[in-house]
Amino acid sequence: MKNYLLEKVRYLFILHLLFLSVTSALAQGVTVQGKVTDEGGAVLPGVTVVLKGTSIAAPTGADGVYSINVPDGSGTLIFSYIGFQNKEVPINNRSTVNVQLGADAKALEEVVVVGYGSQLKKEVTGAVQTISTKEIKDIPVSQVTQKVQGRVAGVQINQTTGKPGQGMSVRIRGQLSVTGGSDPLYVVDGFPITGSIGAINPDEIQEITILKDAASTSLYGSRAANGVVLITTKKGAAGQTNVSFSAFAGVQQVPERGRIDMMDAVEFAQFKKEYYEDAGQPVPEIFQDPSQYEGKNNDWYDALLRTAPIRSYNLTVTSNKDKLNTALVAGIFDQEGVVLNNEYKRYSARLNSDYEVSDKIRIGLNVAPSYVFDNTPRTDGDRGTGILFNALHTWPIMPIYDENGELTMFNRFPANTGNIYAYPNWVRSANELVNETETINLLSNAYIQYKPIDGLVLKSTFNVETMNSKFMFFNPSTATSSINTPIPTTAVSVRDNLQTFTWLNENLATYSKSFDEHSFELLGGFTNQQFRFDRTRLQADTYADDRLPTVQGAININRGGTYSGVEEWSLTSFLSRLTYNYKGKYLFSAAVRSDGSSRFGENNRWGIFPSASIGWVVSDEDFLHDIEQISFAKIRASYGVTGNNNIGNYTQYALVNNTVNAVFGDNIAPGAAVVSLANNNLGWETTKQFDFGLDLGLFNDRIQFMYDFYKKTTTNLLYSVQVPQESGFSNFNDNIGEIDFWGHEFALSTRNIEGKLLWTTNANISFNRNKVIALADGIDRVYGTFHITQVGQPFGQFYGLIDDGLYMNEEDLNSSPQVPGRSTVGSIKLRDVNGDGIITYGGDNDDRSIIGNPFPKFTYGIVNNFQYGKFDLSIVGSGSYGNQLLVRHLYSTANLDGVFNMVDDVKYRFRSEENPGKGVFGTTVGGGNVTGIERDWMSSHFIADASYFTIKNITIGYTLGAISKFIKSARVYTSIQQAWVFTNYWGGPNPETSAQGDGNGNGGNLSQGIDFSNYPVPRTFTLGANLNF
Amino acid sequence: MKKGIILTFIIGAVLTGCKDDFLEIVPETSLSSATFFTKEADFQQAVNGAYAPLRSIVNDRAWLLGELHSDNAYYNRNPLFGATEQEEDLADFAVPAANGVTSNVHVLNQYRLDYQIIARTNQILASIDNVEFKAESKNNIKGQALFLRAYAYFELARYFGSVPLHLTPVANRQEAALPLSQEEEVYAQIIQDASEAIPLLPPKSQQEAGRVTSGAARTLLANVYIVQKRWSEAEALLKEVVSSNEYDLMPDYADAFSNNASNKNNIESVFEVQFMEGAAGLNGNFLYRFLPRPMSVEEVVAITGTSNPQPLDIQGYNIPTPDLIAAYEEGDEREEATIAYTTISGSARQNKVFPYIKKYAKTHSLHNNHGINWPVYRYSEVLLFLAEALAQQGKSGEAETYLNIVRNRAGLDDYSGGNLLEGIYHERRVELAFENKRWFDLVRTGRAVDVITAYGERIKANPQDYYYPEGAAPRPHVFNNISLYYALPADEAALSPHF
Repeated sequence: MKNYLLEKVRYLFILHLLFLSVTSALAQGVTVQGKVTDEGGAVLPGVTVVLKGTSIAAPTGADGVYSINVPDGSGTLIFSYIGFQNKEVPINNRSTVNVQLGADAKALEEVVVVGYGSQLKKEVTGAVQTISTKEIKDIPVSQVTQKVQGRVAGVQINQTTGKPGQGMSVRIRGQLSVTGGSDPLYVVDGFPITGSIGAINPDEIQEITILKDAASTSLYGSRAANGVVLITTKKGAAGQTNVSFSAFAGVQQVPERGRIDMMDAVEFAQFKKEYYEDAGQPVPEIFQDPSQYEGKNNDWYDALLRTAPIRSYNLTVTSNKDKLNTALVAGIFDQEGVVLNNEYKRYSARLNSDYEVSDKIRIGLNVAPSYVFDNTPRTDGDRGTGILFNALHTWPIMPIYDENGELTMFNRFPANTGNIYAYPNWVRSANELVNETETINLLSNAYIQYKPIDGLVLKSTFNVETMNSKFMFFNPSTATSSINTPIPTTAVSVRDNLQTFTWLNENLATYSKSFDEHSFELLGGFTNQQFRFDRTRLQADTYADDRLPTVQGAININRGGTYSGVEEWSLTSFLSRLTYNYKGKYLFSAAVRSDGSSRFGENNRWGIFPSASIGWVVSDEDFLHDIEQISFAKIRASYGVTGNNNIGNYTQYALVNNTVNAVFGDNIAPGAAVVSLANNNLGWETTKQFDFGLDLGLFNDRIQFMYDFYKKTTTNLLYSVQVPQESGFSNFNDNIGEIDFWGHEFALSTRNIEGKLLWTTNANISFNRNKVIALADGIDRVYGTFHITQVGQPFGQFYGLIDDGLYMNEEDLNSSPQVPGRSTVGSIKLRDVNGDGIITYGGDNDDRSIIGNPFPKFTYGIVNNFQYGKFDLSIVGSGSYGNQLLVRHLYSTANLDGVFNMVDDVKYRFRSEENPGKGVFGTTVGGGNVTGIERDWMSSHFIADASYFTIKNITIGYTLGAISKFIKSARVYTSIQQAWVFTNYWGGPNPETSAQGDGNGNGGNLSQGIDFSNYPVPRTFTLGANLNF
Repeated sequence: MKKGIILTFIIGAVLTGCKDDFLEIVPETSLSSATFFTKEADFQQAVNGAYAPLRSIVNDRAWLLGELHSDNAYYNRNPLFGATEQEEDLADFAVPAANGVTSNVHVLNQYRLDYQIIARTNQILASIDNVEFKAESKNNIKGQALFLRAYAYFELARYFGSVPLHLTPVANRQEAALPLSQEEEVYAQIIQDASEAIPLLPPKSQQEAGRVTSGAARTLLANVYIVQKRWSEAEALLKEVVSSNEYDLMPDYADAFSNNASNKNNIESVFEVQFMEGAAGLNGNFLYRFLPRPMSVEEVVAITGTSNPQPLDIQGYNIPTPDLIAAYEEGDEREEATIAYTTISGSARQNKVFPYIKKYAKTHSLHNNHGINWPVYRYSEVLLFLAEALAQQGKSGEAETYLNIVRNRAGLDDYSGGNLLEGIYHERRVELAFENKRWFDLVRTGRAVDVITAYGERIKANPQDYYYPEGAAPRPHVFNNISLYYALPADEAALSPHF
């Protein structure tokens, strides 16, 4: 890596020479230089120095020194730097002008990007939080959502799987929907994108704004209910040209701690021996002497893991000179996964340009192509589908390698050993299955802006997003990812080509005017967006030769898996907003958007989404002016309506499936059937939200505090209501129900120590709650396989029996309620919740109740930054408290019938009254009739506390300053990502995981918080450098 | 300035075009009901689609509810495995039924599959008269739809008695659940549909092989009349089938049944559910469910002859009972054609020889995938129905004529002595074994409770005779629920306000 870096540096050196020659050619007049420091004397790099009234400008270097060419010594220099007060200093014919900048008490003067515009932070009346990418630039991950983990109050970000480039779950203010999507709307440079935010290089981003309340989001109308994330990409800073290069490289590995402790080969054979002995049956030969497996353990899970490299390189060039402002960001990100044969690569570029054609006309064009390559073995999922789960419970006496050191094909013992499934070799599954996706994205924005008169801005934008993805799957005959598929298996190939195309045209007029002490801004506009998705999928199987996985090389084209499809939607909208303030302290804003969408039924095509908000900058009032401790105080409140249109396309139509074929004699006859019910009234989900907020700055803003309370009501949830199948249909797509959400968010930002040692802390904590108020008519609960959503209770609660341990002896058994015909001494003792004397699972005498909650009581994050001289240290932590997970893999990994390998603790199961074990796992005697209760009935046996606090990142950096003539400043750093997880969670390595559904495609959002032992999140050690030229 | 505004907005308007069209997007790659039922081919496809659930019914459900749930068949218990209660409860007459509903998944799925046929045929029958096309084709489609609806309701009436009676397509959520109709109302509808179907349908010789025919509709209606003890009406219909000259018995009983890809819809076949081997999803695999287990690869391939045999786990179902085996008379050729024996070395039972159903054990090429058709009505049943209808009216001589045609084909002498009806019942048991007739016959002839109670006692007394390994015993609650109807499915009850 070192060599590679050096090579890069050399390229940049040449690049820099080019720039230098251009700038020196332009040099003339006199040169003024000097050093810029803060009040404590620390040098300030990156300060903008502009000759007043001109576009002549220069930055300070890493040593705080600037040098500017000015026509003569009569002008005035303006020094500006974020977080400091601007300072104007006349040159007075000096050649050296040293300047000290004072910290800006009015840091709140900062401008914040909001929906369809920007506002002074001070005057914002909605619940908005901004993150500059400066804060997160060193976090060595591929996705921007990973970088902001733990940093935003009210936003729960979970990394549900360690797969590179995937698995981030982002929920703003706990919003959820039954079947509609719950992801926020991502708006990149004003364009609500339809593709994945994960495909965007985080280095292209300048700033992220998270809009949380309805007043901030309602201009995004029917797509805003899940919250909105505004992404602003990089622009040149005024008067400067900056070239920088950043790189990091590191290694990732899965920590030992947190892995599930499984039986080794000896322990497993011992279990099996005891199993047969306890059942009074002959012990199969292979288990008679467990010690024969001494030193012959096969850790299938570990065999799938590896230490893997991660690398990233970014080159950024920004320039803002004359009338042209451009930014170029080119990046390479390359991460190999910690599971064998897993790789994620991204090559990306972005060119942003703005050009001032005249005083009145500006045009701009952003173009951002990217290429993503991803090969991910089928790691995640329930038993049978996810190879990590499969590997976990594969018998450790099954050899990974044969006597010749070759990977075995598959393993199966005779049926009398209790081995009911054939186990393919999972290492082969990971290595030999091809499961790759190549995606090319192009995101572009163009605009023309015209200012016919002072205060009026007309802007038309045209945005295009295209995505081409090519998926290739090949399962050769020698491997498979599913259990119980003997090898050789039928080779299968899938090719799936997707193409999406979205365009958006927006036409906006903004008029702003101030007179006396009134200021207002009026925005109006209309927009049109259209989306088209084309897909061609080919599936073929039965290959004569695995080396030729072409479609024509297959003996059979799979009709079920081969199809083409088109999906489209369109959206037409009108929007307007009035923002008004008096003296900058009484603030008011009102906005409305109306959306017409092709997704809605013909009787319900248009939706209106209004909002209003008010704010009062109390600190500007006289009565607070004299209280010096309070530097800023604002109270704000908002109310508004937003929608969620993630209800799928064509959901309102009754569809006919024309592949319901029949056979007559020797012929196939094409058949068709109506497979869904129409709903012409189908519409969006509506969320009404009230927000109250307080922003406080104390002690000259050394302490900044933000508090928000919100209350939301979501109604008309899209739900596929189950109907009796006597109708011939299983579901009816309808808007039903009501869910209340409320919560408190606190964010605190402090400068704890200033001076030579600088210590700042940002902390946040959020409490999100929800409660189901109503479901469909006549339906007060919806059951999932393991969950219930019930009126009066929070959404999607774990539902099952209560595990009260085991029946420890005959007396215990006889004096306790039992499962008739199944309970025995040593079997699981469940609670008779309804008190009828027997234990019943389901039906009218159900003993199930709510046994857990997948939603946390609170989530929190804390970021500490330290700076001491040239050293800096940053520690980011993120946590969640009070949520539970369903440890789903236990139904295999604690299957007492000895069908699979088991967690180590099964050693301590109940064997007899004299040898009762730890009272967690029951007796194996009695077979499925007895063990099935513990294994197959959902109970608190499977529920685990998943509270955690994770040190997400620790970075230590050292700023070198100018290290050569060409490198103006350099910084090197080392970091540990996913440094340490503090948790009592025993179900697996990742307490953030949350698979949805029961593994069979049922459930969705109603069934969250399931752990199938997914891809673990690795710990990453990196070294990195940032160079400025 | 105005120009600027106008220009900007015109650009926008031109780019986006006319608004109403812009928001009207219909699916491009799937059909919707509004545009579907508009031409002959649509109805042809729709009626084909209405046959499709029959495959799942006979492959996955009906044998569990109609044959395993009788004294003809049991399972070979493998105590190493659980999660087999759903099937065992049916065989053991221990189907849980609290408050008139049951959680048994096979009962649920049988119910839902029948209603799938009903919904699909309702769609056809509700809209076919609005579309003009050739009367001959239209009548044929209507006749098939009526037959299939009648058949589905006939299954429901026999399994459940009172059920919701849907006769028009459900258009919205409110219409999805209907109150239970009395059994008589359901039967009245079945009779009406089947009666209407008869004149609309062509005879077998003029119908595409495998589709229902006027002969099949007559047989169905006669079956309904027999259940209702309307003997003379049954007799008349059955005689029309006999005199149509469309049917005859195959000379050899073993040849009455379809092979994997041949001998389908033969002269004896009145109606059979059609399967096709292959990857198109039109295959069956019931043979595999009927094999005693665990079976090694060698033991499997000896029966199936496939190129890719796999071992079979857990336990097998529809294993012929000693009771059935004993019911065959000396010299009855049907015994050997119906039941064969295999040795399964992996069995935990000391006696590793197990009987299995031979009439469906036809060799094929792909493991767990075969094209063997399932007989619903065979001509021999028409003859036995006719014999029964005649016997019930005291026309013993004529009845014996038809009974003897069936017996003689099986290599047996003419029927002699004893109770003629008992003789016919016995004949039905051995002739139609494993064709899902036994349970319905026991119920309609009023013998179910006595026969099954005695059968249960025999199993409890001698579990090893019923394939339990030594040391294993029937579960404590077996044979505690010998009721003539199945309870309605609990999952449906949870969704319907009416039951």
